[in-house]
Amino acid sequence: MSSNNMADPRRQNKIFRYKPPNTETNPTLEDPTPDYMNLLGMIFSMCGLMLKLKWCAWIAVYCSFISFANSRSSEDTKQMMSSFMLSISAVVMSYLQNPQPMSPPW
Amino acid sequence: MKGRYNDEFDDGEDLAEFDDNDFAEFEDVSEDPGTESETAPPPRAAPSENPVDEEEEDDEATVETEDGQDEFYDVDAQDQDMYPKYDNEEFEGYEKSGPSFKDPLILKEVPVHLQNSWESYYMEILMVTGLLAYIMNYIIGKNKNSRLAHAWFNSHKELLESNFALVGDDGTSKEATSTGKLNQENEHIYNLWCSGRVCCEGMLIQLKFLKRQDLLNVLARMMRPACDQVQIKVTLNEDDMDTFVFALGTRKAVARLQKEMQDLSEFCGDKPKSGAKYGLPEILAILSEMGEVTDGLMDSKMVHYVTNHADKIESIHFSDQFSGPKVMQEEGQPLKLPETKKTLLFTFNVPGMGNTSPKDMDSLLPLMNMVIYSIDKVKKLRLNREGKLKADKNRARVEENFLKQTHAQRQEAAQTRREEKKRAEKERIMNEEDPERQRRLEEAAQRREQKKMEKKQMKMKQIKVKAM
Repeated sequence: MSSNNMADPRRQNKIFRYKPPNTETNPTLEDPTPDYMNLLGMIFSMCGLMLKLKWCAWIAVYCSFISFANSRSSEDTKQMMSSFMLSISAVVMSYLQNPQPMSPPW
Repeated sequence: MKGRYNDEFDDGEDLAEFDDNDFAEFEDVSEDPGTESETAPPPRAAPSENPVDEEEEDDEATVETEDGQDEFYDVDAQDQDMYPKYDNEEFEGYEKSGPSFKDPLILKEVPVHLQNSWESYYMEILMVTGLLAYIMNYIIGKNKNSRLAHAWFNSHKELLESNFALVGDDGTSKEATSTGKLNQENEHIYNLWCSGRVCCEGMLIQLKFLKRQDLLNVLARMMRPACDQVQIKVTLNEDDMDTFVFALGTRKAVARLQKEMQDLSEFCGDKPKSGAKYGLPEILAILSEMGEVTDGLMDSKMVHYVTNHADKIESIHFSDQFSGPKVMQEEGQPLKLPETKKTLLFTFNVPGMGNTSPKDMDSLLPLMNMVIYSIDKVKKLRLNREGKLKADKNRARVEENFLKQTHAQRQEAAQTRREEKKRAEKERIMNEEDPERQRRLEEAAQRREQKKMEKKQMKMKQIKVKAM
């Protein structure tokens, strides 16, 4: 009996491979932050471009940064880059059209 | 008329006369007196009245120039005008108003948006500084999480490698070889899969750190402190565990699990009990399918582990009917019985409440020992006959309830399908243009209905006969 306690618990024949948990069946486990932030960033950058609002464009830049920081490794980097580029372009276009500095709301 | 040049070169005595003669020359030639006044030369340093008078006498045309000169002298004497020559008569209706030097100079400020200085862009500079701060925090947070993860792994590596044949697998490689390192899912989540041991299929360890890489999260945590967590999920084979459901943890965690988890809500209906009977601290509560299970699990060693590390235990959940959290059922869809798996779940809190250092990871090592001990314990724990009967009855009850629920749903679904068919048929009959065909279809439908009714009546009669 004592030898059983000392016995190696490892069993080479009992190895199972890792299966990543299927997140489609468990949507509640997923963190929705990066998706929301991505969407928000796109909306703000479109607002900034169309309505020529500088602060919208700046908020879009922030949103895309936050989305990037919270992103999962399995997510597309292309989408991140595209939202990032869109927000930067919104900022640049706002300043090209109107080089005046932003006025604070107070 | 004397020759001009000869006279000039002779001597300076007759200078005035020569000058007059110069003028005289021009004056004889020109016919337009107006232009002469325009082309009058600038005044000499020492103008004298005499030559003026003389010229007046000489020619009519000179009057204009002398007038001009006169006026010019007057103007000159009166105010020190910047503008050397203008004729008052020329500018009729024009109010002479030059800048008066008596009032002080007022400097108007250039509007902000027309300034070209960097200072006016302070909002932009603020924004860029914020972005830089965010990026700095991202880098620092990412590195901190990475250091914590590797510190945890280094302290647990030996224990894991002595217990599992496969330590570290990301599922992508062809052969089942130990990667020997953590699998990074995120900047704040690290996974580790261990397999190849008696008494279990495999163990998935998830290091769920705080989102230190996200500045927003860092700021939110200043309001509401949270701590890093280590979640361990051990999946077992059919013969590795007897049939029971059990949970232990902080009162809040256990209450939440009871609400959320499918198996706990079905099998452990009672309120969480205190573990004081076994010597456990008051902050912990126990949910169990039956008392025998708790007695069997809470042996001295387990109690020792739990009591010593009660501050780090968030929840412990053993179940042979584990199927995850309750799934929201969709309307009208008959649900299949959810897949269950024999599982042991552990959630541990890393000490430090967010301000952890890599050294704190060593304090989690005894908890891993507890996990290993639990795996072996669960394998050995067998319910006695009574307990087994109770457990089987419970499971049968839950299954029946479930089937009843889905049966009602399935019946509803069948009913709606039948109604749909009837409606579709009726529509077809209505849409039929030919009245002859319409009548025939209607009759056919009526006959079908009658047959159905007759069948039902027969069935009822049969049941009645049988009952009797």
